[in-house]
Amino acid sequence: MCCVLALGASAATRPHYGGTLRVEIRESFEVPDPPQTGASLAQLPPAFAPAQWDAPRHAIYSADDKAPGGRPFLDAIEIQMDRRLADQSIDLDLGKADLVEIDATEPRRNPQARNRIWSSSPVRLLLLVFGARIEDPRIREALALAVDRTAIHNVLLQRQGEISGGLLPQWLSGYAFLFPVAQDAARARTLLAAVPPAARTLSLGVPDPALRRIADRIALNARDAGLALSAAPLNSIADLRLIEVRIESPDPSRALAQLAAALALPEPPRADSPEALYAAERALLEGFRVVPLFHLPGVYGVNPRINGGPGITPLGEWRFENLWLEPPRP
Amino acid sequence: MNFRTRLLLIFTIAVVASAGVVDWQVSVSTREAFERVESQRVDVLVAQFRQEFARRRAEIALAVKRIADSDAATTIAIAPDYSEFVGEAAQLASTHGLDLLELVAADGTIISSAEWPARFGYKEDWLTAGADWKSLGAFLKREELPDGVTLSLVAVATRNVADRTLYVVGGQQLDNGFVNSLIMPAGMRVLLYRNLGAGQISELPNLESLIGETLRQKREITSTIGQGAEAEIFHSIPLPGYENNLLGVLLIGSSRRELVELEALLRRIGILVAAGGILLGIALSWWASARVTRPVRRLAESADKVAAGNWGATVEIVSRDEIGRLAGAFNRMTHELVEQRERLVQAERVAAWRELARRLAHELKNPLFPLQITVENMQRARERYPDQFDEVFREGTGTLLAELANLKQIIGRFSDFAKMPAPEMQAVNFNTLAGETLKLFEPQLAKARVTARAELDPRLPSVQADPEQMTRVLRNLILNAIDAMPEGGTLTVRTAALPAGVRVEVSDTGQGLTPEECQRLFTPYYTTKTHGTGLGLAIVQSVISDHRGRISVESQPGKGATFRIELS
Repeated sequence: MCCVLALGASAATRPHYGGTLRVEIRESFEVPDPPQTGASLAQLPPAFAPAQWDAPRHAIYSADDKAPGGRPFLDAIEIQMDRRLADQSIDLDLGKADLVEIDATEPRRNPQARNRIWSSSPVRLLLLVFGARIEDPRIREALALAVDRTAIHNVLLQRQGEISGGLLPQWLSGYAFLFPVAQDAARARTLLAAVPPAARTLSLGVPDPALRRIADRIALNARDAGLALSAAPLNSIADLRLIEVRIESPDPSRALAQLAAALALPEPPRADSPEALYAAERALLEGFRVVPLFHLPGVYGVNPRINGGPGITPLGEWRFENLWLEPPRP
Repeated sequence: MNFRTRLLLIFTIAVVASAGVVDWQVSVSTREAFERVESQRVDVLVAQFRQEFARRRAEIALAVKRIADSDAATTIAIAPDYSEFVGEAAQLASTHGLDLLELVAADGTIISSAEWPARFGYKEDWLTAGADWKSLGAFLKREELPDGVTLSLVAVATRNVADRTLYVVGGQQLDNGFVNSLIMPAGMRVLLYRNLGAGQISELPNLESLIGETLRQKREITSTIGQGAEAEIFHSIPLPGYENNLLGVLLIGSSRRELVELEALLRRIGILVAAGGILLGIALSWWASARVTRPVRRLAESADKVAAGNWGATVEIVSRDEIGRLAGAFNRMTHELVEQRERLVQAERVAAWRELARRLAHELKNPLFPLQITVENMQRARERYPDQFDEVFREGTGTLLAELANLKQIIGRFSDFAKMPAPEMQAVNFNTLAGETLKLFEPQLAKARVTARAELDPRLPSVQADPEQMTRVLRNLILNAIDAMPEGGTLTVRTAALPAGVRVEVSDTGQGLTPEECQRLFTPYYTTKTHGTGLGLAIVQSVISDHRGRISVESQPGKGATFRIELS
C-alpha cells in the first residue's frame, strides 16, 4: 500500500509530455487569422503555433518543437471561444474543460474552489464610456457622481478587485486613490436640475452579459439622481457603454497610452514622472468622457490535473509553455 | 270598402294585435327570466372569483412562510455578511413560484431582490413599522419595478434567529398574467385597473365611468357597459392595500353576447311564429269573412234588385241564425211590398178613375146646364111665345154653339194630356224663349195688374230641348203665377247658367202654397183653383221629365212661390 502511494506522488510531481489543454474564453475573434496582439491567444506563440483557426469559436494551437525555450510539455491547446461564464464553469465542473474564465466573485462565493483558481492583478478596467452624442458635461459628471461604487464592489463584485476613479490601477500608478470615487447623489441631482428633461434619458449598452447586473445597479443609481438609463438594444449605438478594457503593459505610461488608444481618447503626453503621469491621466478624465469604476483581476478556474502553474502572469498574460497535464490514470 | 273587406280588416287587425301582444309579453317575460339567470350567474362567478382570489392569497402567504422557514432563510439571517446573498431571492422566488421576493434585513435594508436585483442596500422602511404581518396575510401593494410601477399581491413573513430578524417579502404581480391565470368560465373575463397613476384608465376603454365611480364610492358596483351583443355586465370590486388605500379595481365582466343572441333567436322565432299565425289568421279570416258575408251579400244584391224595381226579388235562406232570420224577414218584406204595391196601384187606379169621373162630370156639367136651360127656354118660347120664338131660337142656338164649343175644348184638353208627343230636340236659348213668352202675356199681365220682371243670365248657354213644349211649360207656369196673384203682384222670370245646363225660375208674389199643396201640386187633376182641369202642372212635369230635367217648387204661405226647372 505504501509503495503505491509513493509511486502516485512521484508521478504527480514529475512533468509529463503530451496531452491537450482545453481552454474556454468569453471573447470571440471574428478575424480570418489568429490575433497577433492582445492578452490571451496572441501570447501563445512562439511556444505554440496556430494549427487550426475556425473563427470565431474554435482554434487549436500545437506545440512548436523548435520553440526558443524548448518544446512545451503540452502537445496542443484547444480553445473554445465565445463561451458564457456560466457554461465555462459547468464545463470545468464536468471535466470538459481544463482552464476557464470565471467571475471575479467566484472565489468568494465558492471557497472550496480556491485551490483551483489562478488570479491576476487587477488589470481589467471596468468603466463607462460616453458616446459623442452626450455633449452636455453635466450629464456625464452627474452619472459619475451618482454611481455607488462601494455597494457594487461589496455586493456584486464581492470585494474583488478595487474601486477606482482612475484609468490606471493603484498597484500600477500609485496615485489612483487621488481620483474621487465617492457617491454624491445630491450633487448629481443638482447638476441634472438644469438639464432639460428630454436630455435625461440615456441608453446604456452592455456588450458583456456578465456585466449586466452592474449595469442594472448603475441604472438604479442614475434613476435616483434623475437620469433615466435604459438598456440599449443589441447592435444599436448606445449613448454610453459599460465595457472592460485590459491593461497590457506593466509600464504605467505605456499602459495609459494603450488605454487612451483603446478608449479613443487623446494620446497622453509621454510622462517621465509620477506627477506628469497623474496630470496626463487627469487630463484624460476631464470632461467625464470615460468614468472608471473598478479594476478587477483576471480569474481562471483550473482543472486539478494541470500542473506547472500558474499559467498566467500578474498582468493576466498566458504562459502555458511550462504547464503539463497529469496522465490519465489506468 | 265593402263589408267583407272591412270584416277582413278587422279580423286581421285583431289577429296582428293579438299576436303582437303575445309576442311582446313572451319577449318581456323571457328577457326578465334571462336577466335573473344572468344576474345569478354573475353573482356566482363573483363569488367564485373571491374564492379564487382568497386561494391565491393563501398560496402566496404560505409560499412566503415556507421561504421564511427554510434553511436558506436561516443561513441568511445569521450570516455576518449579507452581500454574499444578493442573488438568493431570485433563486428562492423561482423555486417557490413567486414573481416578487425580497429578503430584507432587520433594519429594512434589502439584502436581495428577485424583482429588482439591483436594489440591494436600499431601505424598505414600511416593513419595520411594526405591523402584524402574520395576521395580515397577503395584501395588495404598489410595487416599483425597473420597467415601471405595478400592483402586487404580497405577504410578509419574518425569520427570527437568535437576536437577528430577516423579513421575507414575497408575492405575485397583479397584472394581466395574474388575471389570466384565474380560472374563469367561458363568456367571462376579468380586467384589472391598477390605480397607480395617470394614464391607467385609458387601458380599459368604456370603463372609465365605472372605475371612477368605484374609486369614489369605494364599494362594489355592477353596471352594464356597451349595447346589444357587445354589452357586458361588469362587477367592479375595489382592491384596497394594507393601509386601506385603494390600489386597484377588479372588473369581472360577463358578456351578454350569448344572452343577446339567445334573445334574438327567440325573438326571431317569435316573429316567425307570429307571422305564421298572422298569415294563418288572415287566411282563416278570409274564409270566415267570406262565409259570414255571403248571405249578407246576397241580401244586399236582392235589396239592389228591389231598389231597381224588381220587388219580387228573394234571398235563399241557408241558416237559422240571425242572417237566416234577416233573409226571411227580407223575403217577407218584399212579399208585403209586392202585395202593397198591387193594392196601392189598384187603389190609385180606382181613385184616378173616380177623380177623372168627377172632373169629367164637373167639367161637362157646367156647359150642359146652359144647354139644358137654353133648350128649355126655346121649348117654352115655342109653346108660350111663338111670336118671339125666332129671336129666342137665334139666341138659343148661339148659346148652344158656344157651349158646345166649350165642351169640345174641354174634351180637347183631356185628349192633349193623353196624347203628349215626344219632344223634338234642338238648341234652345231660354233667355229668348222667356222674353218672347212674357211679351205674349203683356196685355193679360197688365189686366191682372201684375208687373213682369226678367232676370236673365247673359252667359246662359243653349240647351237641347223642344221649343214648343218648353213654350207651353213657360205659359202654364206664367198663367199659374197670374192666377196666384188675383190682387196683382210681381212675376219674375229668372235664368241662370249651371256648370252643366241651365236653370229657369218663375216666381210670383201670391199667397203661396202649403207644404201639402206643394207635394200634390204635380198630381194630375189636382188644382187649388176654382177653375181649371188640374192638368197644367201635370203637363209641365211630364214635359220636363221627357227632357230628363227636374222641376221643383219652393213656397211658403203668404210669401209667393217659385217654380224651378233645371235642364242639362
